[in-house]
Amino acid sequence: MLTILLFILFGGMAVGCAVAVVAQRNPLYSAISLVGVFISLACLYMTLAAPFIAAVQIIVYAGAIMVLVVFVIMLLNVEEEAHRPLRLRYLVPIAVALAAILIAEAAFILTLRGGPERVDTTGVPASDVGLTASIGTGLFTEYLLPFEVTSVLILMALVGAITLARRTLAPASTPEPEFAGASEYVLGEDYASRPTGVIQPGDTEATGQAMARMHIKQEEEAMRAKHSTTGEEEGEG
Amino acid sequence: MIPLSWYLALSAVLFTIGVTGVIIRRNAIQMFMCIELMLNAVNLTFVAFSTYFQDVTGQLFVFIVMTVAAAEAAVGLGIIIAIFRNRESLDVDEANILKL
Repeated sequence: MLTILLFILFGGMAVGCAVAVVAQRNPLYSAISLVGVFISLACLYMTLAAPFIAAVQIIVYAGAIMVLVVFVIMLLNVEEEAHRPLRLRYLVPIAVALAAILIAEAAFILTLRGGPERVDTTGVPASDVGLTASIGTGLFTEYLLPFEVTSVLILMALVGAITLARRTLAPASTPEPEFAGASEYVLGEDYASRPTGVIQPGDTEATGQAMARMHIKQEEEAMRAKHSTTGEEEGEG
Repeated sequence: MIPLSWYLALSAVLFTIGVTGVIIRRNAIQMFMCIELMLNAVNLTFVAFSTYFQDVTGQLFVFIVMTVAAAEAAVGLGIIIAIFRNRESLDVDEANILKL
């Protein structure tokens, strides 16, 4: 009798909080309601004699995941969702009719007697199924491979989350390298004062100057490389 | 003892509420929370069957589902932050093209 009362209490709390999660327009209130759902589900797990899962539910869901969600909500400063007209208005009566049919169907099946023999599920003998020891034994013997694969999954999620949320750096504006004398010698004095920007199509002069500049740069680097290698050889000699 | 079908009915109701939320909400974070709600409904089914059939496998599945949910939370919130940075909005109706 007490179990039924607890089920009704926490089941009703779970459903109410779930409706609040969906109905709220402010994401922060939704998150708080979701914490309520998690806690009432943990209490239901206790009534199902699963204390380990109940504890993990509180620690992982209500503790870790919801803190993450609330943190993101606060970080992004999300505004409330605006009211907007329903686009598919004519579908509402159809949806109501279909839902009524579905519920009637479910009620019919649930109240149907004389189907295949029903599993007797009304008595649960005391056992150690939900205890930490039995879960640990199962996790590290029969289900060791899924457990290890889960660790790889978490590693992937870690790398993926960091990659996705990283603030991508804008391409740094590198200053143009100085060409001591050669550029001005070839291209004239006024070259340095020209804006070096996007070359318009058809601007042959700018194209030619850019190409000349590229060649000068390549040759200078080649010369420099040659000079440094020869210098080293001379030093060794 | 409560019949198993009560837990299954409660789980179905929670799952349906989650599906409804994913359909009618437009805020990416709220859709994300509705997905968490659906995962929890499935977890309730797993634990109920595990207890009623006296088999620990269901609770191990719940454990792994929780791990996957945590990984999903990390990656999903990373995606949400990236979308918000590019669009200054979390409305999924506006994030409908695959470029910046």
